[in-house]
Amino acid sequence: MIGLRRCALAAGALLMVVVFAHHAWAGSPSDQLRAQIERVVKAVEDPDLKKDGKVRERRTAVRRIADDIFDFNETAKRSLARHWLQRTPAERKEFVDLFANLLERSYISKIELYNGERFAYLGETVEGDQATVRTKIVTKQGTEIPIEYKMLRTPNDRWLVYDVVIEGVSLVANYRTQFNKIIQTSSYQELVKKMKTKQTEFLDEQRRTSDRS
Amino acid sequence: MERTKVNVAVGLFLVLGILALAYLSIRLGKVSFLGGAGYLVSADFPSVGGLKAGSSVEIAGVQVGRVESIGLADYQARVVLRLERNVKLQDDSIASIKTKGLIGEKYIRISPGGSEKLIPPNGRIREVEAPVDLEELISKYIFGKV
Repeated sequence: MIGLRRCALAAGALLMVVVFAHHAWAGSPSDQLRAQIERVVKAVEDPDLKKDGKVRERRTAVRRIADDIFDFNETAKRSLARHWLQRTPAERKEFVDLFANLLERSYISKIELYNGERFAYLGETVEGDQATVRTKIVTKQGTEIPIEYKMLRTPNDRWLVYDVVIEGVSLVANYRTQFNKIIQTSSYQELVKKMKTKQTEFLDEQRRTSDRS
Repeated sequence: MERTKVNVAVGLFLVLGILALAYLSIRLGKVSFLGGAGYLVSADFPSVGGLKAGSSVEIAGVQVGRVESIGLADYQARVVLRLERNVKLQDDSIASIKTKGLIGEKYIRISPGGSEKLIPPNGRIREVEAPVDLEELISKYIFGKV
């Protein structure tokens, strides 16, 4: 009898998990974004991961959530723009990985500086499969930084971010100009080489700091 | 008889002069007849700060069109651009309002995208960047810390 009840309870719990997990993906773009950003904040503030020796674990945790928030494929495609069309599928895949690592290097380390800033969700505009979510970050000093997230709907009703506009400056536009300049003045191969060197340098650096601590 | 001849000559001269003047003002004023050549696309900006109808639209620094009109739509600035017919824009092209030099006039810079889909005539550029408002940024640094 008890066994049966326990079984029913377990089934109920499982069902709840499934329902909630599904719930996390449904809903408006703002709701989905908010849920994901809360996950990031939780990971960054996790006392277990906050210890100095856990830099790598913390970064991996944040990177895993970032993979759920961003559509790196779309961001890379838009950043490479015209040059994307000339790439082979293998080159595209390689580039997306390099680009995701580049974003990780530049931004995920910044996320670790998180210090109780508040996020305010100001509204959203949905237009077909595209949405813009307007938010702002309010620092402890009261400075407000407007941030817009451009999102795309995936076939299973999830919204993924493909561009971030901070203070009116778009991430994709920034990288598009830089990539274009490098490709025009040298070549695509040169760009990939540059990105690869940066990544190895970063990994070496990270290994050194974690060895020290 | 002699008098009529002179009158006709003066009349012709005058008509010619007026025609030349009309041609000159059309060329210099860049007035376009019958809606002009090229096609229209629109873009909504949160603010256009200083952009005017007639401002140039550039790709890689080359002028490819002009700002046709600027109006208000849902408290945003709707800018209509007239582009040359042979200039095709991908639907992930980004339109940014930039300043020539540090304090020069405003213009629109389009950075072409990599999508296979093109923006049709009378379509809309979805990706936009508003001009960076220096004053606002400065005031943020001055008054930001409470």
